[in-house]
Amino acid sequence: MGARARTWGRVMLAGPGAIIVAVVTMAGMTRWIPGGTAGIDNVVLPLVLAPLIWAALFFYACLDPKLSRVAIVTGALLLVHGALVAVGFTGGTAKTETAR
Amino acid sequence: MIHLSKNETKLMVAVHGWSGIGLGLLLYAVIFTGMVAVFASEIGVWSAGHLGTRSAFEQPIDRIVRDLGARTPKIYREGTDLFEVGDHGLGVFFHHHETAANGELISRGIFYSVERDGRIQARAGTNEEVFGPRNDDALSHFLVDTHVRLHIPNPWGLLVTGILGLAMLVAAISGLLIHRHLLKDIFTLRTKSSAVLAERDRHSVAGTWSLPFAFVLAFTGSFFSFYGTIGVPIVAMAAFGGDVQAFSEKVFGNPGAPDPRPAAIGNLDRIASDAVRRAGSPPTYVAIEHFGRADAEVTTYHNARTGGIEPMTLLYRGADASFERAKPQVGTRPSAGGSLAAMMSPLHFGNFAGVLSKSVWFSLGFAMCYVTLTGLRLWLVRRRGGARSLDWLDRSVSVVGFGLPFALVVSAAAFLVSMPLGRAIWWTPVAFTGAAATVLIGAVIAPSRIIIDRALLLGTGVLMMGLVPLRLATGGPGWAAAIEAGQPIIVALDFAFVCAGTACIWRIIGQAWAVRPVGTLQAAE
Repeated sequence: MGARARTWGRVMLAGPGAIIVAVVTMAGMTRWIPGGTAGIDNVVLPLVLAPLIWAALFFYACLDPKLSRVAIVTGALLLVHGALVAVGFTGGTAKTETAR
Repeated sequence: MIHLSKNETKLMVAVHGWSGIGLGLLLYAVIFTGMVAVFASEIGVWSAGHLGTRSAFEQPIDRIVRDLGARTPKIYREGTDLFEVGDHGLGVFFHHHETAANGELISRGIFYSVERDGRIQARAGTNEEVFGPRNDDALSHFLVDTHVRLHIPNPWGLLVTGILGLAMLVAAISGLLIHRHLLKDIFTLRTKSSAVLAERDRHSVAGTWSLPFAFVLAFTGSFFSFYGTIGVPIVAMAAFGGDVQAFSEKVFGNPGAPDPRPAAIGNLDRIASDAVRRAGSPPTYVAIEHFGRADAEVTTYHNARTGGIEPMTLLYRGADASFERAKPQVGTRPSAGGSLAAMMSPLHFGNFAGVLSKSVWFSLGFAMCYVTLTGLRLWLVRRRGGARSLDWLDRSVSVVGFGLPFALVVSAAAFLVSMPLGRAIWWTPVAFTGAAATVLIGAVIAPSRIIIDRALLLGTGVLMMGLVPLRLATGGPGWAAAIEAGQPIIVALDFAFVCAGTACIWRIIGQAWAVRPVGTLQAAE
């Protein structure tokens, strides 16, 4: 990959990539963070931590010398959390309603 | 200390510079108005000449709320919000929740504004429609609105300020990463070196001291901006199938078995006085769920106790006004997420230790304004002499950097003149816009950037000093009356305006006498 393509790849991962992955991670976190004593940590913590998740993804995409590693890590985060959200839509929502 | 390679440091310097340059001027506007808005309630008292010191919740409210409830359609008694308006008047919003066409959760109902002399004004509509500015709080409302959403309609205004918060977060973190000698940088001021080095040192010292503060403000600010616009809809979609009301009930509600039987609300004066005794301060806000039903619940919200940072919340049974328990502001039981979310507000507004913490927040906000402006100037100095002329950007920095304080002072003067005439809601923003337009035209025709800076600084200084006689001439309370009424903040702000005005004028005199004017920086790097 040429230097120009690498720069653009990094810009895409640090820019729109970080935003999309942060939003999907925030949504997916509601599925694996424990509810805690009040039963709200799973919905409140992702909301509070969202700006920090974005910042972490942004700086990681800027500073990791291996662009392929950045793509793999952020891609994995996107896939895992996207899958968690999808599972929630298919079966998890019903479970939440029952629990409520 | 974080050690980065030469290339990584170079990249971080570029990220730091471009995060500031790309959005620096808008960021400066948000930081500056945020710094002023720290004292929004005090500015409200000062500008409107409010002399009342007893909270609305320390005065009888039970009969008023009971009567208003009786005349309000039952559909709007699902929720009732009580809070202070104007000079310790009472605002009562009877409402029910509904989901707007765009999926946003809104409240619709009737808002009663009850003045201290008993006058009542009623407005029906959604929460967006009924909570507009009043004639006596138009100035503080204008300040807060500028900071929160730059007067851009929702949700776009909040999205813009949220993006600015993220830019500030990037600038703060990259600023930390590019410091090779953090401790040394905190104390290094080479005042006798070249103008650029001296300016860079001042930027570095102010920036380093305010780094943790910048991080906290950027983090909490972007949280508030994105909370309702993006965060809640997405979390509600993922965890509650898109039901925002279910999310709201889960996080802020008081779950219990529904009991829709009619029952008169318990004595609200008893609840208010008990809440003041338990929390050590009057409530800032009271929420009643299911007004007029047997399962009514009353929640009182208070500032943190002295020495604490998390706000206090007390829960009462509505039907008999009996105390139920102290509860967290977020959630029904103490939890990590709830505590973290509850701390976002005091950390952002700096109101957890009264005027003392507000003063610290104001000072650090001032340092950040200085850092933003000097950062922009340094960036420009480094590129001076380049192929492309950046004179337009140099002038833009002056227009925003010095023009914004000037326009805000003009709007304050306009408020003082128009409030007694009942026209402050219109004149406050109009005066700001007029002043901003004048500054823009002046910046285009001025022969140099230095002249723009000096003219604006002089205008701001003279106007600030003139605010005090203007306030007194337009019927504002005098110092003796203010102190007698227990409102020393009016005197303190008069003093602050005179000092700030003097400092502006003094700076111009200093620059005129200086051997080396600020505007003649030479690139040293």
